[in-house]
Amino acid sequence: MNKQYSIFTSWRHFKHLFKKPKTIPFTSIFTKKNMNYLNNNSIIRSKKKVEMSNPRTAGDNQRGFHTNDWEVCIGCGTCEEICPTEAITMVERLDIKDEEGKLQQRPTIDYGRCCFCALCVDICTSDSLKMSKEYIYSHEDPNAFELMPEALWQGHAVEEGWVKDKASNLLDLERVHMEHESPDERKSSFIEIVRGYSKEYAKLEAARCVECGICTGSCPVQMHIPAYIKAIFEDDIEGGLRQIYETNPLPGVCGRVCTHNCESACAIAVKGEAIAIRWLKRYIIDSAPNDMYEKILMEPVSEVVDARVAVVGSGPAGLGAAYYLRVMGYEVDVYEEKPLTGGVMRYGIPAYRLPDSAINKDIDFIEKIGVKMIVNTRVGKDITMDKLEKDYDAVFLGTGFFKPRSLGIPGGDHKDVIGAMTFLPQVRDYERGVLKLEDIDVAKSIVVIGGGDVAFDVARSATRLQMLKYGKSDVKLTSLENEDQLPSSDDELFEGSEEGIELFCGNGPQEVMIKNNKVTGLRLWKCLCIFNETGSFNPEYDKECEQIIEGQQIYIAIGQSPDYEYIPESLQGKLQFSRGKIKAGEFGQVEYTPWLFVG
Amino acid sequence: MTNSMSNTEFVTNLVENQYKVLKTEVLDQYQIAFEVKKEDVHSILSLLKTSGWIQLSYLSAVDWIKDNEFEVVYIVFNWDKAVHIQIRTRLDRESASINSVLPIYPGCKYYEREAHEFFGIKFPGNPDYEKQLILENWDDIPPLRKDFDPRQYSDKKFSHMEYKNDFVNKDGKVSKQEAREKRFSDADKLRTGGKK
Repeated sequence: MNKQYSIFTSWRHFKHLFKKPKTIPFTSIFTKKNMNYLNNNSIIRSKKKVEMSNPRTAGDNQRGFHTNDWEVCIGCGTCEEICPTEAITMVERLDIKDEEGKLQQRPTIDYGRCCFCALCVDICTSDSLKMSKEYIYSHEDPNAFELMPEALWQGHAVEEGWVKDKASNLLDLERVHMEHESPDERKSSFIEIVRGYSKEYAKLEAARCVECGICTGSCPVQMHIPAYIKAIFEDDIEGGLRQIYETNPLPGVCGRVCTHNCESACAIAVKGEAIAIRWLKRYIIDSAPNDMYEKILMEPVSEVVDARVAVVGSGPAGLGAAYYLRVMGYEVDVYEEKPLTGGVMRYGIPAYRLPDSAINKDIDFIEKIGVKMIVNTRVGKDITMDKLEKDYDAVFLGTGFFKPRSLGIPGGDHKDVIGAMTFLPQVRDYERGVLKLEDIDVAKSIVVIGGGDVAFDVARSATRLQMLKYGKSDVKLTSLENEDQLPSSDDELFEGSEEGIELFCGNGPQEVMIKNNKVTGLRLWKCLCIFNETGSFNPEYDKECEQIIEGQQIYIAIGQSPDYEYIPESLQGKLQFSRGKIKAGEFGQVEYTPWLFVG
Repeated sequence: MTNSMSNTEFVTNLVENQYKVLKTEVLDQYQIAFEVKKEDVHSILSLLKTSGWIQLSYLSAVDWIKDNEFEVVYIVFNWDKAVHIQIRTRLDRESASINSVLPIYPGCKYYEREAHEFFGIKFPGNPDYEKQLILENWDDIPPLRKDFDPRQYSDKKFSHMEYKNDFVNKDGKVSKQEAREKRFSDADKLRTGGKK
């Protein structure tokens, strides 16, 4: 089988002698950018030849040197994380504008390490990192092989080589499906709409997170979001629960109704659907068994301090303060005027968004670590402020905004013009069985004024009551803002429309129409702009564009104001107020009354 | 084979009727895996070859370091019935050795060399199994073993380049990056409540 070779066999190579060489000349493979280097090193002597060079372009998909558009890049650092050769380092650049959803850092690439595998391009959350067709670069200084890619390569616009496409994309851009109750099902009851993730689904959703941590900056309490998502992925509910409680003592509530600013900042949201951070948080709370709570909460955190603090109001602010003070070792008493603790959580937000069971779980935990709740006690009536000052070392005021802001239009003082915070507590009391359906006066057709979450709470609660009472609903909602600028969350707008709420956005109320002492409707003018040039609230209307919408009751949800009647006049004199809030220092301490703190 | 029987069912019957299978896993309609005892591997592969699975598509191993075992995987293919069959068997990690399948599938020659080079499994019967195939002058433990530390290896083998570039721009302000990184590492410690 072996071929026989003779000494003449190699002569066959002579046939190549007269063929044209296939060598690619230097002038057609290097770019003009390297001209100086090549000249200085006497590689190419003729400058003319270099100037006439005509570099051939590389093929499509060439994985050449990177370009990174700084305007698009969000500095998430996922490229650094995935790089198999550790060639990428995120460098801090505080000269970049500090924006929500972006970090002030950009990648540098060490081309001594880079293997041009393009994983960084395929995982890039903003598609800013790309590879060009440039593949030649030379320099006498070894330091010059660490580069910070920008939109231009070496100051020149270059052709795109490898870019991410659908097949090479490594990010999972679609959210794991969450079960919702159907509109017909939920419309006539106060059943919770979002059902929550199962363990498998939660893990799948958690796996989408790239752990960049951009979200933490947008969270009002800076929760350790990537950390607890990782804990879910590793099935460590206990660890996740600890991480959550370090920054948020009301996670069961926040897991359902927080404004999830984190999700708008999420790096995955740049190109796809944000990680369902809020629902993942809820998953940890819902799946943590009670004995796990017990175990964690019985661990001593701090030495007991011999000092007492009174907290006025048991809403989110009061309970938050109470929890952290207790953890720090203080003795804490919380005063609440209503029979149940929780404030706005208990009496404002409807149960289809936040059921009592979720509130109880959070508050029970705070109570268990030793915070004393004193209900049915209004400060200023059942106990005086002076007594609090005398009995306690410090007093924290966490009273909410329950008084409706008045409408200030003709007819606005009619008894069928109702404030959101008068109506919503009744709804919750109905759900608890304290009030009966007959006790709540909901008309057959109503109009809600306002475009925030509270307005939708009112409108959607009223829909449910109408369905229960009359078998059909007729709810109209009007706001100054246009539909695409509503301050409410997108979920509310979407789900509310599904439930049949009619929207009259972009209109300002002018007069409550009254006939025979009964409300018949609301006169609207088209709203041209809400704020004036200096940015303060000063709506302008188009009188020509008028409409009257019918309704037997008007509900106002245009913001609430605080109720400070409980503070004695002698003390009120010492306080300064700005936009309804008591003025205080950085840590909530009120000037001239060092024993008083506000939320 | 009757028409009502799928290819995977056919294979399952073929193997399970004659041999003790520790675990059968149907991956999809084109792939099926059997975990068998080391002693049975050669006769099963002979049976499969005579039944039409004439091609050894791949041979490699998995390091189950926690079980102190290697799992050798043979993948064979039949050009008439579109089913890949995986035959898996576990070997003791300390003295990993299995007779070569060279007499059955001559094509295993290079796969076995590769498996030896990357995992250290011995294949007596293959005269060349110890010959170097891909790695030049390798002087560490086989690199696909889970206890191989690529970071340590690269630190040992290659010099570290310290760049003198300064791309950082803090504009005279306090670093946010450092604070962020510290927070992230602190959050990790919270998981255990501060305990190790």
